[in-house]
Amino acid sequence: MLLYVVAYDIPCDKRRKKVSDLLEGYGIRVQYSVFECVLTTSQYNELHQRLRKKVKLSEDKIRFYPLSGHTLNQIQVWGGPPVTEIPGSTII
Amino acid sequence: MRTLYVSQQNCYVSLQKETLIVKQGEIVQGQVQLPLLEQILIFGKSQVSTQAIRACLWREIPIVYLSRMGYCYGRILPIGRGYRQLCRYQQQLTQVERLITARAIVQAKLKNSRVLLRRQRRRQESELLEKVLQNLDRLVSQAATADNWDRLMGFEGAGAAQYFSVFGECLTNPEFVFMGRSRRPPGNAVNAILSFGYQVLWNHLLALIELQGLDPYYACLHEGSERHAALASDLIEEFRAPIVDSLVLWLVNKNVMDAQNDFEYRDGGCYLNDLGRKKYLKAFLQRMEEEVQIDDGEKQPRWHLLTTQVKAYKQFVYNPAQIYQPYLIR
Repeated sequence: MLLYVVAYDIPCDKRRKKVSDLLEGYGIRVQYSVFECVLTTSQYNELHQRLRKKVKLSEDKIRFYPLSGHTLNQIQVWGGPPVTEIPGSTII
Repeated sequence: MRTLYVSQQNCYVSLQKETLIVKQGEIVQGQVQLPLLEQILIFGKSQVSTQAIRACLWREIPIVYLSRMGYCYGRILPIGRGYRQLCRYQQQLTQVERLITARAIVQAKLKNSRVLLRRQRRRQESELLEKVLQNLDRLVSQAATADNWDRLMGFEGAGAAQYFSVFGECLTNPEFVFMGRSRRPPGNAVNAILSFGYQVLWNHLLALIELQGLDPYYACLHEGSERHAALASDLIEEFRAPIVDSLVLWLVNKNVMDAQNDFEYRDGGCYLNDLGRKKYLKAFLQRMEEEVQIDDGEKQPRWHLLTTQVKAYKQFVYNPAQIYQPYLIR
């Protein structure tokens, strides 16, 4: 499992909504167009595949930054929620 | 395993984009991200919308329906997910291979119960405990020589009886009394937690067995039938003492469980109520997510132990010459 930072810039409202809806399922929104996702390789690949179908790369920009354990410890957060951790189970 | 447990009653699970929303009346009790979820356990009378069920089927997330006690009624699985491939190999296991494995499982169960009791002995000396430990030792070696299932089950039963005869002595909380194991229905609070704990663990194992593509209805120790997923019953044996029993001891001895408020008496038995179930599940999760050292020195959440054993069993099915090695506490 790795922490990925996903940042996007999408001018079209409709596509941006779709991308953000999809990312809501995989991670936590930390800024308006920045998500942090803790994913396994297969979840990461799945996210890629599904995102690919929603974007138009001639206009849209998306970046994925995987963080290694080495740099993970050096993340600094100024304001906003703390760094996303591995999601756990939920009891209701 | 990332699991959604719905242990409260009258909840409604619905789908909203990539998220499952759990509502109780108008109140949102929780939200879970679907792509990160591995299974859903519904205890008692909560609803799941068809849209949510469909999304789970697409994502191969099993939805398990259980009684409030933890008894499994059934599961929802995608139709294409089958165990038809591996099942052939499972059916080809010979009597001897199955007996050897069954023996290993019984021995591991007895050994693990012995370790749990021995650890308790460090805290308090007891002649009775000493005697039970010796008896368990004897039963372990006897189980190794059992030449048929009836005798093996005999040793297993004798071992369980010995073990539970002193299990009560390990309880230091005077609010809880345990004289012996009783089930269907559980007769007192400790039995209620044990029963619930075994059921929950059993269902987790069943889900893992399914995920690995094994047929849960073919096993070595227990007799399978079309209603009994015997393989889950086989694989739970080695984990009863290290996972459930030790957790129950902790919950009771550390006063986490409340003898007055966490239980309800009905239908001639004692059961966990909403509060108690939630408490148990929370502690169970915490324990399963705790990291333990595994063989190669790496650290993994305790869940990993279960997955490893199911995978080991799968390896054994493919290559029976390589004998199945159950989990042993060290």
